[in-house]
Amino acid sequence: MNEAGDAGRRLRVPWFVTFLGLRLLWALVTLLIFLTAAFFFMQVWVPYSWATQFTQSGPAALAAVREAVGLDRPLPEQYADFMLGLARGDLGTSFAGGSVGDVILEALPITLTVFIGGTVIGWVVGEMLGRVGTWGGSRVSGSVLSVLGVLSAAIFPPFLVYLLVRWLRDPLLDLRELIGLPRDSLDLWRGAVTGEAGALTPGDVRWLIALGLVAALGLGMVARSYGRRQQLGWVEALALPGTLLGFGVGIGLSGLGPHALDLLYRADISASTGRGSPGLALVGIVLISFGQVMLVMRAGMQAERSEDYVLTARAKGLTERAVRDRHVARNVMAPVLAGSFLTFPTVLAGMIIVEYELEMDGLSSVLFDAIEFQDIPVIMGVIVVLGLMGVGFRLLTDLTIASLDPRQRQGRA
Amino acid sequence: MTAVGEAALAPVKFPRRARRLAMLNAKVIAGVGILVIFALLTFAQPLLEATIWAGRGNVYDPQFGFDTTISHPSAPSLDHWLGTSSLGRDVFSMFAHAARPTFLVALTAGLAIGGVSLLLGSIAAFRKGWADGFISHLSDAMVLLPAMLTVFVLGIGRSNEEFGALQVGLSFGVLYGLGPATATVRAAAMTIMVRPFMEAARVAGGGGPWIVTRHVLPHLYPHAAVQAMIGATGAVIADAFLSFRSAVGEDFGFGQMVYDGITWSSLMAGIAPPPWWIMLAGAGGITLLAAAFYLLGVGLREALDPRLSGDRVDGGIVTAADGPGHFR
Repeated sequence: MNEAGDAGRRLRVPWFVTFLGLRLLWALVTLLIFLTAAFFFMQVWVPYSWATQFTQSGPAALAAVREAVGLDRPLPEQYADFMLGLARGDLGTSFAGGSVGDVILEALPITLTVFIGGTVIGWVVGEMLGRVGTWGGSRVSGSVLSVLGVLSAAIFPPFLVYLLVRWLRDPLLDLRELIGLPRDSLDLWRGAVTGEAGALTPGDVRWLIALGLVAALGLGMVARSYGRRQQLGWVEALALPGTLLGFGVGIGLSGLGPHALDLLYRADISASTGRGSPGLALVGIVLISFGQVMLVMRAGMQAERSEDYVLTARAKGLTERAVRDRHVARNVMAPVLAGSFLTFPTVLAGMIIVEYELEMDGLSSVLFDAIEFQDIPVIMGVIVVLGLMGVGFRLLTDLTIASLDPRQRQGRA
Repeated sequence: MTAVGEAALAPVKFPRRARRLAMLNAKVIAGVGILVIFALLTFAQPLLEATIWAGRGNVYDPQFGFDTTISHPSAPSLDHWLGTSSLGRDVFSMFAHAARPTFLVALTAGLAIGGVSLLLGSIAAFRKGWADGFISHLSDAMVLLPAMLTVFVLGIGRSNEEFGALQVGLSFGVLYGLGPATATVRAAAMTIMVRPFMEAARVAGGGGPWIVTRHVLPHLYPHAAVQAMIGATGAVIADAFLSFRSAVGEDFGFGQMVYDGITWSSLMAGIAPPPWWIMLAGAGGITLLAAAFYLLGVGLREALDPRLSGDRVDGGIVTAADGPGHFR
């Protein structure tokens, strides 16, 4: 235990304050190293820059372009500029002229909705399948779960997207009709398209959905773990569906229901129906992210099965369910959470592919377009934002692990 | 502290019992089985071309083959077991050949991951102090820079000659190795450094390099192997996506086959049914190979977990400190 921790104990500061303080310090150092590594990766390793497009115009033109976008300055100077800009919250200027921050801010709500929603739901599904399916399940159901888990981790995302669009397109279109949405999304957004003043734009509703969904999921997860802690089965079971339903009802009451539903599953007359729909992307991301969590959870549950405390708990006369959920699952959870941070990058890459293939106009589209146009500031911007999301995710998992296991509350990495 | 016997001083090879378990684990068997089948396929195709398909010219060439007697794409038939692509190539030949670069990607990625993570992990555990501080922070930071993403940044829009299987595997391996693999191997190394036999090795007068190579590294090989396999899964998918994204029609990776099928079915939407055989062959190839490496990684991890084997109290090589905590 270091000094800050000791002082914290004397002052009776709650553990999570010192814990969070130390973890934030850790996050800051890690972010500094990450940003430095990312910067030099882009500048040194990546073989192209905006200027290489002008190679054929001759060395003079090339030099002029390099000078115009500031690529001719010494590397340390560019690095200092980049870091100082970030400290001010400025992601720089795209080579195409616009502000990188604006481009990313426009794409962010979609990505937040899809990534955070997909990760949380995928995690909950994987954890539940691993917990319930392993305990007392038959050999056959166990094998089926294992195969599904491996498939989920190994499937080729573009093919998954193709299948989703192919199989879910018509049922979802019928569903749209059933709930009274127009056959063409454009009908709902005519005001925004014709530039009517004060008209509702998809961007506004996207932000509303993103923030609302994140808040609902966060609240739901907290209520869920509270229910588990207090052994209130119904709170645990209803927490997530309840908050999500509440979120839906809230949107419905605000009168934005049709718009929000339309954004979840876009439809237009062109053949690309179903593309650009966060609803489909969510399904895809849940499918590619639940497997890894489930497999690790399964292995953990199987390993704990023969522990002595399980025998004790059974001898006490606890129900199998109580043994499984309150004793074994809680022991397995911490390493699963810690492991899920390490598999996060792989899942993240899958999410990016899914989002891109569904033409969601989220961060992935920004990233791939920027790669195509060799627009380094934009690529850097996306990497930085994803890194920030990763740090946030890490802090959240650390906090959850610490709340599960008091031994982890020292706050050191 | 337990008695420091000769057994504790003997160099620890890859634990024999763990090796036996790894052989028995169903996941490992499935993984090895898939790899063997693909390896056989790559050798079978030229053989078939020389025997059964002899005298049909280069109809079965994976790149330049074209069967003039039928229209393309054609569904699986006796002549073309997996059908033909929209360019008239034999899908089975493409399938058999596409496994080669994929193997190369997985191999380079796996080796790079193993090398980087073993090197950094053992240095961090053995040197401690600022070296460990730097390495653990570095790996924490590199976890945030997903290897797959950076490979896309490096590879999209570049030709196979410029950024081929070797480059994909190497860049993916180095980046994944610096991130998650080093984090895992370092954590495992840390738990090994506090075990009694390390003390014994020091008391016996062992120097740094000797202790690291004879007593630390052998315990880390399984951890590095698990990471290498799970990393190879990602590398295979990354390579397939690059082949899918930058498909130009001349090469014939698995990803390119999926691209061919999807493009054709959107071109011919409503006119002809989608050529499912091309897509299924491509996506199946990627998924099976990725699954093989993933199964090897997960199976190895489970096989090395003494609590999963059922008979963990057997008085010996696998002690509590080899427990599952280090494998996650």
